[in-house]
Amino acid sequence: MIHLSFDKGTLLLRGEVGTPYGKWDPRVGCYRIKGLHYRDVLSYFEESGLPYRDEVPNPPPSETLKDNVKLRTYQNEALTRWQHAGNRGTLVLPTAAGKTYIALKAINLLKTQTLIVVPTLDLLDQWRKRVTDCLGVEAGVVGGGDFELRMITVSTYDSAYLQAEVLGNRFMFLVFDEVHHLASQSYMLIGEMYVAPYRMGLTATYERDDQRHAVLPNIVGDLVYAANVEELAGEHLSPYTHEKIYVELTPEEQLLYDDEMRVFSGYLKEKGIVLKSVVDFHRFIMLTGRDKRAREALLARNRALKVALNSEAKLNLLARQLALHRNEKTLVFTLHNDLVYKISRRFLMPAVTYQTPKAERREILENFRTGDYRAIVTSQVLDEGVDVPDASVGFMLSGTGSTREYVQRLGRLLRKVQGKQAKLVEIVSKETMEVRMSRRRIRKTGREA
Amino acid sequence: MLPSELLAVWKRKGVIWPRYAQLSEDNLRVVQDLIEIYRDHVGEKKSVLNKLTGEIEDVGYDYRFIRGLSYLLDRRCRFRCSDALAAVDLRRKIYQKAAEAGLPTTPEQRQQIIEAVASEVKVNAETVDEFFYADLDTELVLEEFNPLSPVELIQEYNLSLTQTLLFESTEVRFTSSGNWQRLFYSLKRLGLIYEASEDRGFWVKVDGPASLFKLMRRYGTSMAKLLPVIVSNQTWTVEAKILWKYTNEVCDFKIESWKHQALLKKSEPTTQSFDSAVEEDFAARFQALKSEWVLRREPQPVLAGTRVIIPDFSLERDGVTVYVEIVGFWTVEYLLRKIEKLKKVDADMLVLVDKNLACEKLADLGKHARLNVIYYQGKIPLVPILHHLEQAFREVKIKQVTLVKDLPVVFTEPVVSYEEFAARIGVSSEAVKAALGEKPPQDYLLMVNGMVRKDVLEQIHKKMEEQMNQKGKFHLADAVRTIEAEGVENATGALEILGYRVIWHGINSEEAEVVKA
Repeated sequence: MIHLSFDKGTLLLRGEVGTPYGKWDPRVGCYRIKGLHYRDVLSYFEESGLPYRDEVPNPPPSETLKDNVKLRTYQNEALTRWQHAGNRGTLVLPTAAGKTYIALKAINLLKTQTLIVVPTLDLLDQWRKRVTDCLGVEAGVVGGGDFELRMITVSTYDSAYLQAEVLGNRFMFLVFDEVHHLASQSYMLIGEMYVAPYRMGLTATYERDDQRHAVLPNIVGDLVYAANVEELAGEHLSPYTHEKIYVELTPEEQLLYDDEMRVFSGYLKEKGIVLKSVVDFHRFIMLTGRDKRAREALLARNRALKVALNSEAKLNLLARQLALHRNEKTLVFTLHNDLVYKISRRFLMPAVTYQTPKAERREILENFRTGDYRAIVTSQVLDEGVDVPDASVGFMLSGTGSTREYVQRLGRLLRKVQGKQAKLVEIVSKETMEVRMSRRRIRKTGREA
Repeated sequence: MLPSELLAVWKRKGVIWPRYAQLSEDNLRVVQDLIEIYRDHVGEKKSVLNKLTGEIEDVGYDYRFIRGLSYLLDRRCRFRCSDALAAVDLRRKIYQKAAEAGLPTTPEQRQQIIEAVASEVKVNAETVDEFFYADLDTELVLEEFNPLSPVELIQEYNLSLTQTLLFESTEVRFTSSGNWQRLFYSLKRLGLIYEASEDRGFWVKVDGPASLFKLMRRYGTSMAKLLPVIVSNQTWTVEAKILWKYTNEVCDFKIESWKHQALLKKSEPTTQSFDSAVEEDFAARFQALKSEWVLRREPQPVLAGTRVIIPDFSLERDGVTVYVEIVGFWTVEYLLRKIEKLKKVDADMLVLVDKNLACEKLADLGKHARLNVIYYQGKIPLVPILHHLEQAFREVKIKQVTLVKDLPVVFTEPVVSYEEFAARIGVSSEAVKAALGEKPPQDYLLMVNGMVRKDVLEQIHKKMEEQMNQKGKFHLADAVRTIEAEGVENATGALEILGYRVIWHGINSEEAEVVKA
């Protein structure tokens, strides 16, 4: 008799037969198969008419789900396409387009043990609330110190990865929120070690700069539906404007910036190094591990960039802008935490960083939702997911050159509220390397300021 | 273990090794300075520590070295937040006031709000500003520091550095002089898979279940956790394949005890004892018998295919080894699995099973009672064990005697020592003696410790007799010359085999006399 069992994120096949999926494992003397192929292996046995014993699934107890989800037309269409693809695949929708609801509807249709994988603890909280609201059951939580399995469980990518050995056979449906994370070298093992036959990926930003999104079709399924901001803006998302304001460095900052840049470019020139691409830059970073002067040059460049990103002039401009938008709910984004605290101190504005205590962070976000607080300043922690329905003005004081970050930050402002006109203001230091970073992040969004 | 950005390595031609900090005077001095910074700044903010350690970095040391050391020192510190709750409460008040009044966009507006909060909590405005973010990491105050010596810190750094490199490993291979029980226990607990083999020592190759499908670093962290246990032994070698993420190439890594022992921290010998009272009692009673069998605890693992069994004891006598495994709580299925595994072992192993520790009803124990399993109740009985030992010894001897007898060997040497010959073919000398006694080679004569070719013997005898008759006395030096002249190398050994005895008059061999024994 063929006997299929789960062993620490893989399947073990005992019996007198192989499959097209497994590999002979001499260490244990039987075939070993990736968890990912669970469904394929079963259908191979079915179609071959081979009797087998399947000891793989070990799901948490079933619960009865309610159905409080109403989908909009485009959400329905996305869901249908996903079903037609065999309950697998990725849906690309802009932030605020209601990806969560599509997934919740899918859970309701499949009525099977489901693990929802999310990148941050804030999102974990948010999904848990949604599960209770829309499905009428409490969600289990794995991550942030919790470990409770239920029919519907929410986990962080980190925990899902680290616990793959014990969680891999507990769920039959995987939902990956912000699925672009799954493509990373290590997280992709979640896709390979879990046996769940049904999989759904959700994201607003499918493509990765490192092109690794190419691995997603294999572990989640194909890209089955995509709609971008421009298609949905107005009807389903708030209309928005984008504005870029240039500021001049203060005279002292300009001196400092020029000095540091001289050190940097002096070194490059001397060594004949040209930094054109990400690869070039990476090679240069590697060099700094060996060459002390290269490291000094890099540090000088970083200090210069910091001057540009954190310029006093930006704060002064922000002061004027805040005065203009007193009645709007406002988010201020920066790249570094230093600047977050500087702004928080100067404008007495609530700050959220990875250092903010968990309880305080919840309280701040809650007060922002209710409108008691009208502004939050944050670095990168709120880039993804956190739901602040009526935030309408965003100030981007600094950021990386990544399009993803830009789209995500923009997404914080776009959730549809009747009559809302969203506005994202980028503040950039004139004639510094920040100009190029800013230009880089806006490409591919379908709009140039 | 250090943050991966502090991993400092050398890499050349597919070989990678950590940039170990040597125990040089220079290094010891800078490490001493760092330790003193921490020791002397108890009561100061972390930002002060950061600034001071940063200055050392600027003097020209590898920043990864200094930061790595600081990272390890931070872990020996207790930091206190001057008052975390107060800071959070204070911020809430400030945020609320600012929300009511509208965010301040001028210094004057800001000052008004701060003062309003100050008067509410009854402190002055400066204090409010000071405690606004008193709970930030850099504002934490060093409360307690647990110091260590510079040598210890460097060794800890080197060990951590190695572990950080092993995070990137796809497989680890090691050999070690002991601690096997703990090593295999850790292996299993960490969800790793091993393959054991013997190749000038006992080697264990480690990776994880999914390593079968592709090279992956997933098990690196777990494998790194084995390192402290391995390097705590007298001798060891650790090899690894490192998948270097920056260049995506696989590099070799190797460290050995004779070279790296002094550089790496040795952890305290484990206090966890695997010996149960039952085992201790058995060992004590067995040793009290003063039998010829030597009892050894935690012997080298025994290979069962590519798996291993680590018996609790080995009992050894004259090249014969019997292993003893004492089973704790058990089920019939467990026992059967165990016996199945034992079948693959090319070794004699006794399994001792306490009937009282059965985890199920034993109605049909009888049919599982097999060779090599001794059931008992309460105390481990010595009699059946001794019985087994005797039988094993006899059997092994018989086997060896047959082996020697069937050996297609033609002797040509003038003298053959039983012991040397036995060692050469891996049996006991008694077996050789017995076998040759039963079937002596034609041209040889058997003596107590060996055999001598008949013609050689005759020659030697003849010459020795001649000389003895001439001189009356026969000195050792002469005898040696006589014997060596016949092509026998070990002359004194041959004398013994030929049935002579040496009487010493002092230490001079010219004086020593040879007589018939």
